[in-house]
Amino acid sequence: MITLIASLAIFSSCKKDEDKTYKSPQVTAPATQDVEAGAAVDMEFPYTSEAGFKSSTVSATNGTATIKTDGTADAKSGTIVVTFTASSNAGAGAVVLTVTDKESQTGNATAVLNVVLEQMTFYVSSNITANTTWETGKVYILQSRIAVVANVTLTIEPGVVVKGEAGAGSNATALLIARGGKIMAEGTADQPIIFTSVADELMPGQIVSPNLSPEVNGLWGGVLILGKARISASNDNGDVSEVQIEGIPTSDPNGLYGGNDDNDNSGVFKYVSIRHGGTNIGSGNEINGLSLGGVGSGTVIENVEIVANQDDGVEWYGGTVNVKNLIVWNVGDDGIDTDQSWSGTVDNFIVYTVTGHNFELDGPEGTYAAGHNIQNGTVVASGLDSDGVLRVSEDLINVDNNSIVNLKNIFITAIQAGQKINRVTAAGVTFEGIELDVTVDALPGHVNGAVPAGVTAGGTSKADASKFTGWTWLDADGKLAGL
Amino acid sequence: MRYYISLLFALIVSTTYAQNGKIRGTVFEKGTGESLVGVTVLLKGTTIGTMSDLDGKFTIETQPGTYDVQLSYISYQTVMLTNVSVKPGEVTILDEVMLQESATELQEIIVTAEAVRKTEAALLTVKKKSAAMLDGISSAKIRLTGDATAVEAAKRVTGVSIEDGKYVYIRGLGDRYSKTTLNQMEIPGLDPDKNSLQMDIFPTNLIDNILVSKNFTADMPADFTGGLLNVETKAFPEERVISVSLSAAFNPSVHLNPDFITYDGGKTDFLGFDDGTRALPSLARENTIPSPVSGNANQEVFDFISSFNSQLGAKTQQSFVDYSAGISLGDQLTIKRKNSNKGVDPKIGYIFSLSYKQEYKLYDDAGYGEYQRFKDPELYDMRYATISEGVIGEKSVLVGILGGLAFKTQFSKIRFTAMRLQNGESRAAQFTIINDGEAVGQSGYKAYSDNLEYNERSLTNLLLHGDHVFGGDKWELDWRISPTRSTSDDPDIRKTAFTETTTSGLNFSSGAGGNPSRIWRSLDETNTSSKIDLTRKYQLFGSEAKTKLGASHNYKNRSYEILSFDMQFYSGQSWPDPDPNTVLIPENIFPNKPNGIYYQSLNNDPNPNEYKSNSTNIAAYISQEFYPVKQLKAILGLRVEDFVMNHTGRDQKYANGDFENGFNLDNEEVLSSTDLFPSVSLIYAITKNQNLRASFTKTIARPSFKELSYAQIIDPITNRIFNGSLFKYPDWDGNLTETRITNADLRWEWFLERGQMLSASGFFKTFDNPIELVRIPEQQTSTEYQPRNVGDGQLYGFELEFRKDLAFISPTMGMFSLSSNLTYVISEIEMSDVEYNSRKGYEKVGETIERKREMAGQSPYVINAGITYANTEIGIDAGLFYNVKGPTLSIVGGGLFPDIYMLPYNSLNFGINKKFGKEGKTIVDLKISNILNERIESVYQSFKAKDETYVNLNPGITFGIGISYMF
Repeated sequence: MITLIASLAIFSSCKKDEDKTYKSPQVTAPATQDVEAGAAVDMEFPYTSEAGFKSSTVSATNGTATIKTDGTADAKSGTIVVTFTASSNAGAGAVVLTVTDKESQTGNATAVLNVVLEQMTFYVSSNITANTTWETGKVYILQSRIAVVANVTLTIEPGVVVKGEAGAGSNATALLIARGGKIMAEGTADQPIIFTSVADELMPGQIVSPNLSPEVNGLWGGVLILGKARISASNDNGDVSEVQIEGIPTSDPNGLYGGNDDNDNSGVFKYVSIRHGGTNIGSGNEINGLSLGGVGSGTVIENVEIVANQDDGVEWYGGTVNVKNLIVWNVGDDGIDTDQSWSGTVDNFIVYTVTGHNFELDGPEGTYAAGHNIQNGTVVASGLDSDGVLRVSEDLINVDNNSIVNLKNIFITAIQAGQKINRVTAAGVTFEGIELDVTVDALPGHVNGAVPAGVTAGGTSKADASKFTGWTWLDADGKLAGL
Repeated sequence: MRYYISLLFALIVSTTYAQNGKIRGTVFEKGTGESLVGVTVLLKGTTIGTMSDLDGKFTIETQPGTYDVQLSYISYQTVMLTNVSVKPGEVTILDEVMLQESATELQEIIVTAEAVRKTEAALLTVKKKSAAMLDGISSAKIRLTGDATAVEAAKRVTGVSIEDGKYVYIRGLGDRYSKTTLNQMEIPGLDPDKNSLQMDIFPTNLIDNILVSKNFTADMPADFTGGLLNVETKAFPEERVISVSLSAAFNPSVHLNPDFITYDGGKTDFLGFDDGTRALPSLARENTIPSPVSGNANQEVFDFISSFNSQLGAKTQQSFVDYSAGISLGDQLTIKRKNSNKGVDPKIGYIFSLSYKQEYKLYDDAGYGEYQRFKDPELYDMRYATISEGVIGEKSVLVGILGGLAFKTQFSKIRFTAMRLQNGESRAAQFTIINDGEAVGQSGYKAYSDNLEYNERSLTNLLLHGDHVFGGDKWELDWRISPTRSTSDDPDIRKTAFTETTTSGLNFSSGAGGNPSRIWRSLDETNTSSKIDLTRKYQLFGSEAKTKLGASHNYKNRSYEILSFDMQFYSGQSWPDPDPNTVLIPENIFPNKPNGIYYQSLNNDPNPNEYKSNSTNIAAYISQEFYPVKQLKAILGLRVEDFVMNHTGRDQKYANGDFENGFNLDNEEVLSSTDLFPSVSLIYAITKNQNLRASFTKTIARPSFKELSYAQIIDPITNRIFNGSLFKYPDWDGNLTETRITNADLRWEWFLERGQMLSASGFFKTFDNPIELVRIPEQQTSTEYQPRNVGDGQLYGFELEFRKDLAFISPTMGMFSLSSNLTYVISEIEMSDVEYNSRKGYEKVGETIERKREMAGQSPYVINAGITYANTEIGIDAGLFYNVKGPTLSIVGGGLFPDIYMLPYNSLNFGINKKFGKEGKTIVDLKISNILNERIESVYQSFKAKDETYVNLNPGITFGIGISYMF
């Protein structure tokens, strides 16, 4: 019988034991943050208190602190908001918050602050819902998947460094320009805008990472721009519709793209280098360095470099946008990936030692069919990385049977045995001035099928490397030499 | 502990010293099939006698000899059982003594003792007279069929079908509409995605009977529609029982096979739980785990990665045979009082049962597929997106312990039982995965994957049950309190897939076969149920009438969590010898180069893949059973249930720190309703042995914990994303409601002698706001589902059942008995606009898309058939049993994605057992399962297209042998 009562007591644990000893309060301090001299900042301290909250006190160094929102009497958990007002002196500061419970037990936590004359690092944790400018020389840290929502413009000034916090799955960080939202990221050849990981010690003004090699990938997500141009999705209801971009759950409507405004304008994206991203965002979906979903031709995308993205370099999902002067280097999957009848042109590009396909060019998925042009580029199909490991792409060009694409003036070098153009019979695919850097005898071995007239052996670099000098990491690494 | 064991043995042994013998029996009222309390039992010619207790049971202890036993009760015909022999130290059992009401009281009926020793009839009597339409299987029948777990036994019952070898569905209705109780009390499930309980964890030697009610009466919970299945654990034995059983089974393709694939577990795997070998390193729970970018020192990162179990690959190891062992012991002890010749002495009963089973499964040509339809209306065939083919090895251990103690006086009974079930299933698989880049949203690759999984389930149940009669037997009070805790954990699910590249051999490619990943998943649920029922018997309109009222309280609390980690490479990869088991050798771990392996956490804090939910259901009912006219019994009932569900969880956005746009629920109410459930049942006795039954009831199906949430859960096995119903979409308002169901049943039944019977039933059900998982069309590259209320549904069905022996051919043929039951159902449901449009968009030439389709999970037919042979003289029982269910729509497709159907699995099993020895104390049994060597198959189906594989497994034929001995 005693066992019985004991067991029942264990199961119906809702009954309170009068002689219980309670755990003393636990207080969690917020992460270290910067605050400008003389400025005030609100800090959130979550707490738990088994015996119930009674009171709290706060003290500060290098500034003053007051309790803005106190805990709730008797509450077992909650958040206390403290306002810290920095002194006029730069240097370290701290806030100590002490919570006392009803049993007169206490718990405390210390939050560290850096009082700076001018704040140089900013944390971005929620969607951008009002026009915002990120300023030259400053670092912006993405703490989650940040969307620039419809009818809002995010302006990124030249020389800005944006860093994504680490994480994968739902924990991944990314910058998403929603359909109807706008990005005005106009870097310059002297001051490119750089997207990288928080692990990167790179600071504004630098091109080369002081600590990360150009193979390290998957440290954060990537940049996604979504628009209202036509897509050929096999949407269940037909062609004209919208679909959800890969990797963003459908519960977030900011992930929708596609429409019928082929001239849609998502802004300007110039002189931008995106590095070390491509983390897994869930169910086998990785984020591309730059994802362009239904982006319209009113958008300007020029001078973009993608380095060490775990998934594709650039992936187009329908849309009409043109892209000029593009580098994709050391990505873990495809260099240039097209889907859903993107109908634009990529002009002047370098695809350098990717390990997926250099070109992964798919056809329409709905009945709407349109094609694209890929022209004036150089592909380096293999090479040693900084650790001496050989990186080789899966093949030379990969098209599907229903692909629609004109491939023109492309030079492919550093070709290894086994690398091929996978298909030359697709009706919608044309080859013109495609030069493989192999001997005439070896040429048939690199084409799956009869060698088309537009594919020849030999040749020279077709990309205009001068467009990439000065502002790209590929250039700084000396890889442009000879291209 | 040792003290208790010796005490237990002392109890067992003490009874063996008794020189007297015992007579035990049960008295029933012939008209109602209910037990009779207070019947006087007398040994003719002696002064030794007793009275039947509240269960209609009696015990008389006397000197060995042959007696005539007289049973008498006011206004009933007296029965005389002649030639009842009593042997020293033994119990003579008179299982079912029927007393009939009589106006005259003068006649005495004389019956020989042998005539009352039939068993199967008991269930039939209950079935004949019960208010609900009942079907069931008793432990006696289970012993004959040789079924090892409840799930195998349950499928012998009319209209019952089994899915995934675990879930019991009734009348072919899907998971949502079936319910399982244990000793009539609610118990938590073990699968976060299902409403019904996994029945494969109940070993049959802990089960007394399984009963299925196909219609609702007010004293049952209202949240079932197809059927309510109740598992009754072992009660108290009539006589002292000590039995030991051993059995083994052999499947030529599975057992003693040197190619069986498995992986190393812990030291306690053989007991059905993990010893910590698969535990998540504690640092991995931190917000920031040590990684090259976390700011930790290189050595800390290395140590952290090394703290994970390094085995990632499956290995081959010779399998043993399946085996199981069980021991049961129990007895009833009478507490002697002075002058105990008359009246009833209090009794103490105890039971203890232990069972252990180890099983192997090997599917050496397993196949899984993902298929798509072409948009082109003239292309009928489907194309694959991904095909996985390979080998799966499973090893499972099931341990069950049950102990019980009861105290009984003539008018009161209190029992306490405690049960613990522990199951561990270790699974290793190796697959070749081919992905077609031409398929929509696919990138195209070939990969070789090793998957290691372990699922650990436990269920701990306590029951305190009291039953009291007073006022003669006019009042009966029954109360039960039953707490249960169940857990289901999947520690360290490992998937390691090397992707084949044309140019650099095998490596890990996140966009293709994926980087190696590991997942920890856990479910913990507690359930506290209590109920009280009060029954009053009296005379109304000159016949027996009964008023029953009661109340119940049920509280459930569940917590669920998934933690995932991906492996990353801090530098280029190089795998000269690609072997999953050398992936995590120190040379490959960060900061060593190349490879530089480290872990990336996919878990936010708070975690969107985590939730806590609780529900409280308070119910009360009243029901009235009476005969308005002589042959018509009416049962009218009304039940009220007040149900409240609360949820704690958040979506990804909130978990990511976006408190403005994200959603978070902190123990907030997500469902609250008070419903009335009326029930009307009419039983018309056409003749003495024929009934016509009609019933009309309202029931409910409530959304599950997970469905009413902002949960966004990625299923690690299928990669499908589940979105809670609270998210709003342009075509969904975020308000998921209960499904309310109206049921009508009609049944004709004819009971014949020797347990033969024939019955035919028809039923009709309407579903108001049924819930189905709807595929979200906006997402194409991955599969996302959301539970939504879809258009109204209805179904109608027909059931036929018979049990007939072949005595009409010749008396010897009477040892053969044929039985069969058949359920046929037509269901339809109104498609949602989303589904209709998506089907319409992919309509093929010649195809007509209707607005309606069959209900998901509903089988069109279920057939059970069997022929049994029983020869008591030579102690042989044998049976051949067949079971199949029709092709069932298991996953609803539409548009690009075809529907998935589960194909019929023609299961044919044979069992024979023979008793040996003078007293038949040794039983040897043989069985053969899956005689037809059928495969378990689910396929994609599309208009005019060839079926394509979704799941294809070959269980093979198994031969089993068992021996049991009763002391």
